[in-house]
Amino acid sequence: MAEQVVFASVRRLGEVIRARRLSPVTLAETFLERLERLGPRYNAVVTVTRARALEQARRAEAEIAAGRYRGPLHGIPYGAKDLLATSGGIPTTWGAAPFKDRVFDFDATAIVKLEAAGAVLCAKLAMVELAGGMGYRQPNAAFTGPGVNPWSLDAWSGGSSSGSGSAVAAGLVPFAIGSETWGSILSPAGNCGVAGLRPTYGRVSRHGAMALCWTLDKLGPLALTADDCGLVLEAIAGRDPADPTTVDRPFRHEAAAPGRPFRFGALRGVTEGAEEAVRENFERSLAVLRQIGTVEEVVLPDLPYDDITRTILFAEAASAFEDMIESGAIRGLTAPEDHYTAYARDAILAKDYVKALRLRGVMAREADRVLAPLDALVAPGRAGEAARLDGEVRSAIRGTARDVMGAVGNGAGLPAVAVPNGFGPRGLPTSLQFMGRAWEESTVLAAARAYQARTDWHERHPADLI
Amino acid sequence: MSEPETIRAPEAIRREVETMLALVRERYGSRLSPDELAGVRTAIEGIVQAAHALRAVRLGNGEEPGQAFAAYRAEP
Repeated sequence: MAEQVVFASVRRLGEVIRARRLSPVTLAETFLERLERLGPRYNAVVTVTRARALEQARRAEAEIAAGRYRGPLHGIPYGAKDLLATSGGIPTTWGAAPFKDRVFDFDATAIVKLEAAGAVLCAKLAMVELAGGMGYRQPNAAFTGPGVNPWSLDAWSGGSSSGSGSAVAAGLVPFAIGSETWGSILSPAGNCGVAGLRPTYGRVSRHGAMALCWTLDKLGPLALTADDCGLVLEAIAGRDPADPTTVDRPFRHEAAAPGRPFRFGALRGVTEGAEEAVRENFERSLAVLRQIGTVEEVVLPDLPYDDITRTILFAEAASAFEDMIESGAIRGLTAPEDHYTAYARDAILAKDYVKALRLRGVMAREADRVLAPLDALVAPGRAGEAARLDGEVRSAIRGTARDVMGAVGNGAGLPAVAVPNGFGPRGLPTSLQFMGRAWEESTVLAAARAYQARTDWHERHPADLI
Repeated sequence: MSEPETIRAPEAIRREVETMLALVRERYGSRLSPDELAGVRTAIEGIVQAAHALRAVRLGNGEEPGQAFAAYRAEP
């Protein structure tokens, strides 16, 4: 049974659960055992939530037996990045040693919504400390150790949703929830060879999630397929009075293709600075996309996109963690550079932060103008294979790499999905991202699904885990 | 929106970095080692360069921040 359910899609698992050919309790036991046995190998797990999982799985089993089927996530195990508050004595650590024993008395809205959908919380998953907001430069930046990549034990899985990426890739959970301020869903998805969806800013409530940057933070799913990401998004999306940034725009995941050719755009020079394998795999991806639509080169006006989003991120993160920075409590973090880098943010002037916010408005309009005639902008998900565990992490956030797609996408709050599109010379996955207009998750998911219907990268898994 | 201006000369950036570093040293210097202070300097250089890139873009008076503040009133 284990071979059949591990690496099965959420959609497939839901079908067999609904048909009562698979017990949610058995399924939960399978993944709990893998989380406990394999989780430490990848530093993927902070807490296995066995008691809560089995309680939810038994409830799901009883409800389904009684004919009360809730939907495609009913009885499906999942893991949540450990910045989502959970009640019941389950710690919520934010990946940071100073908070390793901290417990909340409520559940984050995303957790509540997933429980309402019948999903089974099996684990709180590892993450870069404080979601990477203090300036880390290396994989070893969490009290749980560096996130280890299931495709190679000397490669990084992150970040910052490191455990969310590696747990899905290693078959420890069928799906996971991650968060992205700039790159923290698309990066681990790309590094680990799974699908990751960054929703539109305001699509998913962040109530109960650690705040890194109030105007940039988004929550979203990682799963084996883009289709699965859509199923999960439908469960967690929606207006929440507890998060005033959420909007009342219903999201319904449509599994059907739109029935017309897609229209894709690629920014001029989008592969500049990317590793050779990334460029080659992207070109091969474009050939696949030309089977289902057109690809045209597009240009954004010359604006300091990385600087806009970086300034907003640094200023808001410095405020969000003002207490830790001012008190010196950041000394308790794992990565040595996280002990002091944030002090530099006192150098951000208020007028420069406001200027970045004003330029964000321009950026959002220009991005929408370019995207309006397109279904999606396409680009490599990452510029290279995952960093080595003992190496330095290149980061657009710190300015050691360029990431216009990430700067615009996160700065303007646009949805994007990353899916695997090949491998590099070290045997690590590379990825392809589709970024769309605000609130067009259905469109980018449809495009990604169409790509995945013509490729099999998402059906490949680390050999030692099959 | 007009065309970006030329970003200021490296010497102007260097002076601004030193000024900002002095501020950080004043506030947190007692808890920073020389190596850490060097790391802070590198981070400040990035921040100041980003600020100059932002300042080099001219915006009209009516160009508001990309997010709106909403007046608050508790619902009954």
